[in-house]
Amino acid sequence: MKTNPGMTLIVKTVTRISVWLIILYGFYIILHGHLSPGGGFAGGVIIALAFLNVMLAYGHETITRWLSLKFMHDLEPAAGALYLAIGVLGIALGGRFLANFLPKGTLFDLWSSGNILVLNIIIGIKVAMGLFTVVWTLAVFRLYQGGDK
Amino acid sequence: MIVYLLCFALFLVGIYGLITKRDLIKIIIASGIVGYATNLMLILFAYRKGAHYPILEKGKMVTSQMMVDPLPQALVLTSIVIELGITAMLVALAIRLYEKHQTFDITKIRRLSG
Repeated sequence: MKTNPGMTLIVKTVTRISVWLIILYGFYIILHGHLSPGGGFAGGVIIALAFLNVMLAYGHETITRWLSLKFMHDLEPAAGALYLAIGVLGIALGGRFLANFLPKGTLFDLWSSGNILVLNIIIGIKVAMGLFTVVWTLAVFRLYQGGDK
Repeated sequence: MIVYLLCFALFLVGIYGLITKRDLIKIIIASGIVGYATNLMLILFAYRKGAHYPILEKGKMVTSQMMVDPLPQALVLTSIVIELGITAMLVALAIRLYEKHQTFDITKIRRLSG
């Protein structure tokens, strides 16, 4: 297993099939956050765990090649800044911080929540990128080179 | 009343693990159990017998008197996020200690100076 990082062929094949379903489920949880339990944080965690699944099955060199870690690392504070921008836009258009300025739509539709859907998507991106960056950092970085023994 | 006592027993299990275990991973898991017990206690405070979950649904309109209190649930969601951060920080510190001392046993981590 030295030349072939990651787990066995069975795990890799199952991961290759299931990771897209996990990511799709994460997007479903994010987009329906205002209608059912879930929301930005839960869906973001699911998406981050899908990436973690790939990292466990294939090894962290593969996921470093697949995903642009620098882009993910930049996307996370960008999502935070976008959240702040929407909050300030609420001051400008609605009078309060995070005030609703999008049309509310009809009840129980997907477009029925005004700002909350947009904010859920932003939080989902931020949590997914942030959590995956944390896990990736714990797996990859080696701060201390020496050792006592 | 019995559910609060059981919740406190879960809290005590976590405290027991924090005090008596020597393995760093088990200590981190015990701190997680303490956090779960606290979250469960907050959720139980908001529980109302025979009440509906606080979600509006299409066919089923319920009045606000029949719902459980959603405020502690939102509070607990924030608490879970903070717990995630604490666990990540503890794991990072444990990895750092393992790289320095080659062990997770806290009785063997004795040297103070680097």
